[in-house]
Amino acid sequence: MQETPSLRDVPLFRHLDDEELEELEELLEPASFEAGETIFEEGGPEERLYVITSGTVAVHKRVLPGRRQRLATIEAPTVVGEMGLLTEPRAAASVEARTRVEAHCIDRDRFLEMLDEDSMAACKVVYEIGRALANRMARTDGTIAKLIARLEGGESGETTDFEIFQDRLIREWSF
Amino acid sequence: MTEEGLQGVRFFEFLTEEERAEFAEGSELVAFEPGDEIIEEGGEPGSLFVLTSGRVEVRKRIPGGGERLLAEIDATDERTVVGERGLLGESGASATVRAADRVEAVKIPRQTFRRMVSEGRPAAFKLSYRIARTLARRLTRLDEEVVEAIRELESRGETDLEAFRDKLMTDWAV
Repeated sequence: MQETPSLRDVPLFRHLDDEELEELEELLEPASFEAGETIFEEGGPEERLYVITSGTVAVHKRVLPGRRQRLATIEAPTVVGEMGLLTEPRAAASVEARTRVEAHCIDRDRFLEMLDEDSMAACKVVYEIGRALANRMARTDGTIAKLIARLEGGESGETTDFEIFQDRLIREWSF
Repeated sequence: MTEEGLQGVRFFEFLTEEERAEFAEGSELVAFEPGDEIIEEGGEPGSLFVLTSGRVEVRKRIPGGGERLLAEIDATDERTVVGERGLLGESGASATVRAADRVEAVKIPRQTFRRMVSEGRPAAFKLSYRIARTLARRLTRLDEEVVEAIRELESRGETDLEAFRDKLMTDWAV
């Protein structure tokens, strides 16, 4: 069996000292998924945070009726379930294992409790999550800016090929 | 800097008195005159500002020239925070925040924050948690906007594009 990489090697945990890492290690449970297995189902519960240490996941969303759009393919190391942790515990998109996936998981409620108790281990993990969110938000802002620019162009009488533009929008959107 | 600048700001309620003092030590009291830019669109990722009085405008450049007003914030009634994304992230601001009248603010410089992070100060990580929550909520809304835009485009121009664009602009406002 493939050995799960040590938590030390996960960038998400780089600010943690040995003691904090131990505190987290006690709460983290190993999890694994086979290729094709669903980790989160769009609209379903998102009550766990998975720290993925090996493998690849795909993010899908039903953006248009009858069409399941792939939004992203993400390789380890990465984290999924962070939006559920910080907002509502409901998945905005589906996350599926593309290959065999090894992960550590922690219960959302337990993790929130740690944050409420000002656990530094938990706060340091969220610091890294926050940095990732800030950068993703910048990209989404860029996408919306392009969308608005395009709509401004449409106003001046330029013909807009909506289908091409829509495809590009979906591709560029960094979910 | 005096500590009172950070007091009564809902954003900082979670800090202990000691931690507030740590932030206060590294922060500056700043004032802006009407028209001054507090945050510049596209500028370097910058500092966090807790606006304590005055009104600001959030504006965004439009390709092909001009600007659009995204929001007006009055900090006099309730202290407001701007620049959270710049503090945590690596990219420049997505909009300009400009003083509409005289604005007073507490500035937490990016360098101060980064130093506190590298020193492992709990106050900095506790602030990060609050910022992350704010960003996650905004990001959820932005993602919904993009989805809605894609769905609108599916109707291929049957919608009133101008009205749709205006709605997008308004909803986008931070």
